[in-house]
Amino acid sequence: MTDSQNNSGVVEPRGPKPRKIMSRRNIILYGTLLVVAIYYLIPLYVMIVTSLKGMPEIRLGNIFSPPVEVTFDPWIKAWSQACTGLNCDGLSRGFWNSVQITLPSVIVSIAIASVNGYALANWRFKGANLFFTILIFGAFIPYQIMIYPLVILLRDLGIYTKLPGLILIHSIFGMPILTLLFRNYFTTIPEELFKAARVDGARFWGIYFRVMMPMSLPIFVVAIIMQVTGIWNDFLFGVIYTKPDTYPMTVQLNNIVNSVQGVKEYNVNMAATLLTGLVPLTIYFISGKLFVRGIAAGAVKG
Amino acid sequence: MNSIEIKNLSLNFGDVKVLKDLNLSVEKGEFLVLLGASGCGKSTLLNCIAGLLDITDGQIFINNQNVTWYEPSERGIGMVFQSYALYPQMSVEGNLSFSLKNAKLSKEEINTRVKNASEILQIEDLLKRKPAALSGGQRQRVAIGRALVRDVEVFLFDEPLSNLDAKLRTELRVEIKRLHHKLKNTMIYVTHDQIEAMTLANRIAIMRDGLILQLDNPKTIYNFPVNKYVAEFIGSPSMNFIEGRLDGTNFEFDELSFNLEGYSFKEKIKANSQVWLGVRPENIVINEADKTMPVNCDVVVEVVEPMGADTLVWSSLNGKELRFTVEGNKIVNIGDKLNVGFDPAHVSIFDFETEDRL
Amino acid sequence: MFKKAQLERLFVSLVMLAFVSLAISIIGIKPDIFQKLQFLFLTVAIIFVTLIWAQSKTIQFNSNRLRKQIFGWLLSSIFSILIWSFAQKDIQSIFPSLKGYRKALNTLEPIAIYLAIVFILFALILSIVGARDSRLDRPGYIERTLVYNLSSKIAAIPMMLTSVGIFIIATLWTVYHSFTNSRMLPKSEFIGLAQYERLWSSDRWYMSIENLAIYGACSLVFSLFIGFLLAALLDQKTRFENTFRTIFLYPFALSFIVTGLVWQWILNPEYGVEKIVRSLGFESFVFNPLYNTDIVIYGILAAGLWQGTGFIMCLMLAGLRGIDQEIWKAAKIDGIPMWKTYIQVVIPMMRPIFITTLVIIAAGIIKVYDLVVAQTSGGPGISSEVPAKYVYDYMFSAQNLGQGFAASTMMLVSVLIVLIPFAYLQFGRRKYD
Repeated sequence: MTDSQNNSGVVEPRGPKPRKIMSRRNIILYGTLLVVAIYYLIPLYVMIVTSLKGMPEIRLGNIFSPPVEVTFDPWIKAWSQACTGLNCDGLSRGFWNSVQITLPSVIVSIAIASVNGYALANWRFKGANLFFTILIFGAFIPYQIMIYPLVILLRDLGIYTKLPGLILIHSIFGMPILTLLFRNYFTTIPEELFKAARVDGARFWGIYFRVMMPMSLPIFVVAIIMQVTGIWNDFLFGVIYTKPDTYPMTVQLNNIVNSVQGVKEYNVNMAATLLTGLVPLTIYFISGKLFVRGIAAGAVKG
Repeated sequence: MNSIEIKNLSLNFGDVKVLKDLNLSVEKGEFLVLLGASGCGKSTLLNCIAGLLDITDGQIFINNQNVTWYEPSERGIGMVFQSYALYPQMSVEGNLSFSLKNAKLSKEEINTRVKNASEILQIEDLLKRKPAALSGGQRQRVAIGRALVRDVEVFLFDEPLSNLDAKLRTELRVEIKRLHHKLKNTMIYVTHDQIEAMTLANRIAIMRDGLILQLDNPKTIYNFPVNKYVAEFIGSPSMNFIEGRLDGTNFEFDELSFNLEGYSFKEKIKANSQVWLGVRPENIVINEADKTMPVNCDVVVEVVEPMGADTLVWSSLNGKELRFTVEGNKIVNIGDKLNVGFDPAHVSIFDFETEDRL
Repeated sequence: MFKKAQLERLFVSLVMLAFVSLAISIIGIKPDIFQKLQFLFLTVAIIFVTLIWAQSKTIQFNSNRLRKQIFGWLLSSIFSILIWSFAQKDIQSIFPSLKGYRKALNTLEPIAIYLAIVFILFALILSIVGARDSRLDRPGYIERTLVYNLSSKIAAIPMMLTSVGIFIIATLWTVYHSFTNSRMLPKSEFIGLAQYERLWSSDRWYMSIENLAIYGACSLVFSLFIGFLLAALLDQKTRFENTFRTIFLYPFALSFIVTGLVWQWILNPEYGVEKIVRSLGFESFVFNPLYNTDIVIYGILAAGLWQGTGFIMCLMLAGLRGIDQEIWKAAKIDGIPMWKTYIQVVIPMMRPIFITTLVIIAAGIIKVYDLVVAQTSGGPGISSEVPAKYVYDYMFSAQNLGQGFAASTMMLVSVLIVLIPFAYLQFGRRKYD
C-alpha cells in the first residue's frame, strides 16, 4: 500500500482497510465450514466408492479408499437381481411401485391442499380456522396413534394394501403442511386483486383457476418438490399400508439390505441405497433454492 | 475547523461505481443534508462515513483525524436509522445504556448520561418500556437518544423520518432542528424529501449517480441551481422549462422573444445557441404586476388547482405548458386569457446539451 | 370469575363432549352396527356441530335455544341411527331389487343415503325445534349457517373430513381402544388401565423411553446449537455460501432408510471406521457403536444429526436473514462485539423462530422410526428400541393391538405436553401483535 499524495513519508490510511486473507477470523470461519462439509460429504463418497468396488476389494481395503477396479455389476444386481427374502427381482419393482404411488399422491394432495388453502385464505367462513387449527395439530401428533383406525378405514373401503389406499394416506397426511403452505402464500397475494376479480363477476372456482393458480406457479413447484421427496422417502406408511407386491422403493431397499439370508454383499447394498436416494437427490440438486424455500416457508411462517 | 473531511472517496460494488471520487468537507457544528433521488448514493456515502461499508479508495477525516481504517465505534459518531433499529428485547433504558455498558463506563456515569439524554428528548417517562410499546415518534426519539448518550461529535441521520406519517414528520423535523440548535454538533442528514432538506440544512449537497452536483446553502441552491437536474429537483411545484435560442440577451422561441437583460450570465454566450429557459412558477406574476415586469406575455388558462394558500394554474403559452401560482383568493377560470410576466433576474438558463447553468 | 359468555361456551363444550363420548361408546359397544361408517358418522356430526357453534357467538344461556339445539342434535342422531339400522336390516326385504343394486355400488351408496338423511333430519329438526326461538325464527338462518359461502365450504370438505374424521376421531378411537383387551382385532371389552400397567412394566418400553430421551435431548441440543452455529457462519457474507448450504442440506433430501443404511455401513466394525483406525496402527482401537448396547443410540444419533442439522441450519439462516440489517449497523456503531450482538440482541430477537424450530424438532424426534429400523432394527437385543417401533411391532407383528394403542397414546400424551404450551405461546404472541 503506497501513498503517492502523502509527502511526509508516513503511510496515511487510505482506501479500504487492508485485510489479510489468512486472518484468524477467516481461518476459523472457513476451517469450520470445511470440516463440517467433509463430515457431510463422507457418507455420499463412501456410498459411491463402495458401490463401484467388487466384494474381494471391499474385504481387503477400507471403505474410504477409491476403487482399484471400477465395476458396475453391483448396480445392475441391485436394480434387477437383489433378493429380499421374498422375491429376487431387485429394486426395480420397488422403483415402479414408488413411481405409481408418488405421481398420483402428489397430484391429489396438491390439488386438495391448494383448494383448501385458497378457501382458508380468501373465502373464510365461520369455523374454518378451528378446522385448520385441528389440521395443523394433526401434523404434530405422532402418526402411530392414527395408523390402526386408518387400516380399518382402508379395509372397509377395500383398498387396504393396494396402491390407491397408500395414495389416500399420503393425501391425508400431506394435507396439513401443504394447506399451510398454500394458505400462507395466497394471503400474500394482494386482496385488491381478489376483490377486483369478484367485482368483475368471477366466482369461487373462476377466481381460483383464472387468477390464483396462474399467479402461484412458484408455490406449486415448491409443493411438488416437497411432496415428491417426502412421499418417495416415506417408509412407515409404505410398510403398513402395502404388501410385498406393492412395496415402495424404500421398503424394498430395507428388505434387501437387512435381509438375513445369504452373504452380505455390501457393494450391492450401497448401490441399492444410492439408487433409492437418487430421485430425491436429483430433485434437490436441480431445484436448489426452491427446495430451501419450500422447507423454510412450510416451517417458519407456521 | 473542519469536522468531517472526505478526500477522493470512491466506492465500487463489483463493476458498479456507486461513489465517484467524492470530496466534501463539513464544518464543525454544521447541519449538512445529503439530498437526492433513491439510488443516488447518498445513504451509501453516509454508511462510508460511519465505517459500515468498506470504501474502495480515498480518505475520511473526522475531527482532523484520519479514520479511514477505524471501526465504526471508534470514529466518534452516532447514527440514527430509518427503521429506528432499536434492540427490541431491551427496555428504552437498556437501549440507551447498552453501548455505554459495553464500553465499561462507571454506573454513575451511565446513569447521568441516560438521564441527560432522556431529559433533552423528553422520554423520561418511557425509560422502563420496551420499544414495541412505543409510538413511531417515540421510537425515533429513543434512537436519537442512543446516539446522544455516546457523547459524540458527529451525528449521522439516515432518512430518520421516512417511516413516520406526515404530521409526526413535521413535528420531529422541528425537534431535530431545535436539538441541533441546542447541541451544536455536526450533523449529516440523508433524505429524499426536499422540504426536510430546505428547512433543516445549513448546506445541502444534491447528489446524483454517485456525484455531488451542487453543495451550497438552501437559498443559493433554490435560486441559482447549477444545472437543469437540480433546478427540477428543488422546488415544488417544479420549474417551468422552455426550449429556445439565445441571441445575445434575446431569448427566442417559436415567434416569441424575450429580452433577458438583467440576468447575470456566468460567461459570454455564443450567438444563437440552443438553451433551456427555466422559470419558477412562484416567480411569475399576473395582471397588474405584469406592467412592472421586464418580460411579459399572454397565456390561456387550462387547469386550475386551488391549494388553499395559493392556486396553481396550468396554462398554455403558445402551445407550451406554463405553470404559475397565484394567491389563493384570486379567481382564475379555465379559458381565461391572462397576461403574465417575470423578472429575468430570477430565471435560470441552461445549456441545451450539457444542461449546465449559463 | 368467568364471564357469562365463557360459562356458556364451557357448558356447550361439555355437552358436546358428552355427546361425542356417547356416540363413541355406542360405536365401541357395538362396532358391527357401524362397521363401515363409524368414522363418517361422527365426522359429519362434529363438522356440523362446529359450524353451528362457530356461528352462534351470542348464545343466550337463559333462552331455550341452547337446549333446543342440543336436543335437536341428539334427536337427529338418534333418528339417523335408527333409520340406518332399519335400512341395514329391513330395506332389503322391503325392496329386494335393491339388493343387486347395492352390491354393485358396494359401499358408496349407503354413505350417500346416510349423508342425505343426516342432513335432512338436521335441517328439519332444527327448524321445528327452533321455530319459536327469536334468532332461529329469522328467515334464512339455516341458509346463513350452512349455505352461505357454500363453494368455500364444499372446497374445504377434504380439510374438514381429515381434521375431524381422521385426526380427531382416529385419535380418540385409538385412545379409547387402549383401555380394551384388543389383541388380533379391536375389541370393546373394557379392562381399565391394564394395558398401561403392562406397558410400564415392560423392559422394552422402558428401554424405548430411555433411548428416546437420550436421542431427543442430544439431538435437540446439538441440532439447535450446530444448526445455529452453521447459519451464523454462513451469514458472514461468506464466499461459496450456496455451495456450503447445498452440502449441509443434501442429507435432508434423503430417506431415513438411506441415511440409516449408509451409517450402518460406515460404523460397521469389520470394514468401517474401526478397521481404518486399526490399520493405522491402533490395534486395540474399539469403535463399534452399533454393536455395543450401551452406546448404540449415539450411533443412531450421529446419523440423525447428519440428516437433520442442515434443515435446522436453513431455518436459522432464514431467521437471521429476517433480522433488520440496521440492527447490525446500530450494534456496530455502538461498538458491540459480534458475539455479544448475537447473544444479547439477535438470539432474543429470534425467539419465535427458536420456539417453532424446537417444536418441529421435538415432533420429529417422537416420530423416529425409519432410522432405527434401517440402522439397527432395534438391536443389539432391545438396546436401540424406540416408542414408534414398539407401537408398530405390537400392532402389526406381535398381534397385540391393545399394547400398541396404549403405547401410541403415551406418545400422544408426550407430544401434547410439548404442543399445548407452544400453542398457548403462539396465541399469546398473536394477541400482542
